[in-house]
Amino acid sequence: MSEPLLRTDSVTKRFGKLTAVSDVSLSIPEGGISSIIGPNGAGKTTLFNLFTGKHAPTEGSIEFRGDPIGGLEPHEIVGRGIVRSFQITNFFAELSALENVRLATQADRTGFAPDDFLAHHASLSEATDEAEAVLERIGLLDVADRTAANLAYGQRRHLEIGIALATGPDLLLMDEPTAGMGPEQTDATVSLIENIAEDATVVLIEHDMEIVMNVSERIAVMNNGELIARGTPDEISRNEAVQRAYLGGE
Amino acid sequence: MGLLDAFDPREASPTTDGILTNRGRFGILALIAALAVLGPIAASVRPFWLYLLVQILAFALLALSLDFVFGYAGLLSFGHAAMFGAGGYAVALLVTHVTPNALVVLPAAVLTGVVVAAFIGWFSVRARGIYFAMLTLAFAQIFYVAAFADLPASILGVETITGGDNGLVGLAALEAFGVVDLSSRLNYYFLTLALVALSLLAIVRIANSPFGRVLQGVRENEDRMAFIGYDVERYKVIGFAISGGFAGLAGGLYVPFQSLAQPQLLHWTLSGELVVMLLLGGLGTLWGPMLGAGVVILLEEQLSGFAAWEVILGAVFVVVVVFAPQGLAGVLVSLRDDPKDALGNVRDALANYREKVLK
Repeated sequence: MSEPLLRTDSVTKRFGKLTAVSDVSLSIPEGGISSIIGPNGAGKTTLFNLFTGKHAPTEGSIEFRGDPIGGLEPHEIVGRGIVRSFQITNFFAELSALENVRLATQADRTGFAPDDFLAHHASLSEATDEAEAVLERIGLLDVADRTAANLAYGQRRHLEIGIALATGPDLLLMDEPTAGMGPEQTDATVSLIENIAEDATVVLIEHDMEIVMNVSERIAVMNNGELIARGTPDEISRNEAVQRAYLGGE
Repeated sequence: MGLLDAFDPREASPTTDGILTNRGRFGILALIAALAVLGPIAASVRPFWLYLLVQILAFALLALSLDFVFGYAGLLSFGHAAMFGAGGYAVALLVTHVTPNALVVLPAAVLTGVVVAAFIGWFSVRARGIYFAMLTLAFAQIFYVAAFADLPASILGVETITGGDNGLVGLAALEAFGVVDLSSRLNYYFLTLALVALSLLAIVRIANSPFGRVLQGVRENEDRMAFIGYDVERYKVIGFAISGGFAGLAGGLYVPFQSLAQPQLLHWTLSGELVVMLLLGGLGTLWGPMLGAGVVILLEEQLSGFAAWEVILGAVFVVVVVFAPQGLAGVLVSLRDDPKDALGNVRDALANYREKVLK
């Protein structure tokens, strides 16, 4: 079996006395869609924060393609190829949809060139072309010039994904991409996720069980900061610990 | 009113890929030409006006430099006097001890501004918002006290370097290899006008560049910029240093004309006055704050006979902030677009103020 894309070994994150993530060891293979599920407060988003450099692990290690990444700065982790989208839309409200995405496509992680300061922004044509391709993929090309704050809710959520996608990630972590959406928008978003998963590895945090069971190849279940189960959708749906966590029984 | 088309990032940039339109370029050139004609007229009618014009141009450049980081990158610097004063002192020291050659001392002023800003920025950008503002203010005050108490002289064990509270007085006029006589006030005015115009074009260029776009992104959403791969702190320090270079140049142009460098150039009240110029002129428009600088200096000049002229400045400031939160630039743009609508905006602003503030 080939080396996993992302692997954590006994990762723990404590905030004072609160243990948000406790001794989590999991590995995510390259390709396809994996999901992390669990009740509110289970530690799913904290896990994403650890993967993407928002927090450094208190204990344990995180490796991406075999290299330790725990404690790196967010921009350094993006440079390695891990990018996230956010549960609460987190974009550039006053800029156009195109500019939102172009900020991601123009990101040059190798450093500054003199041209970065002196070129007229019309010379961003390559970044603009790439940004338009992303907008087309997320279905927002016809509103490219609209200010992000003026987009409809579903469009904003897609823009949120588009910004992350535009960085060209190897691993895309998506935090509740369908939250708050109606059925039609949800279907469109699921199609988008499946489309993205054709050329990037996707990890979803998702509450909608139907989506999780349909799209995921692997599922990890968290509760109270701990990883309580891992497996295929079939295995997870039959798992007693998972049923207890979701039904609240002991 | 072509100039008004020139740069209004909030209005123009989200939907168009050309902030500096041809009309904008034409407007700038027309304004520069008008100022170039105004100089000799002022010199012959009333030389004091020339003095005032140079002062306005120097502060317009300083306001421009601050707007580049304040309006574009969202860095609320309350310490831009540090770079202004440092550039000024650098020129004063070079003129006194080394050479009055403008081709040496003015680049040195820019360099000093860059170095001081990089130093302050490196320590300050980790903090945000009001904490960043307070750090920059504190650094500027350290520079002020260092100049006022002549700390460099105490440290090096010499008699005087900064001249303490008197500052460095009676500075020789600048020259340029003996070819251009910059002791002529009119020549100096032309030099200042040319450098301020070039600085404006340079800053517009940088604001429009990929780097400027990143600064805008930082202003809009610093966290997200990090999560799409930008080393945000590095961008902020570099943006701050660039701004500092222009602030240093402003100080470097101001001091020789006054033939005086004094600690007040570094004082926080100057930084505060600068923020007033920005808000009065229109934050983030680049040209608005330059206008704001002109208005503040003219008001100060006209009213300084009146004991408490700041009261009037304060009243003007309050009126602008309440009725025209986008400053004079916003007023001019909306007057150009639709005069009727502009009056409607005043009514709306008043209603808004009644509802939100007075209630």
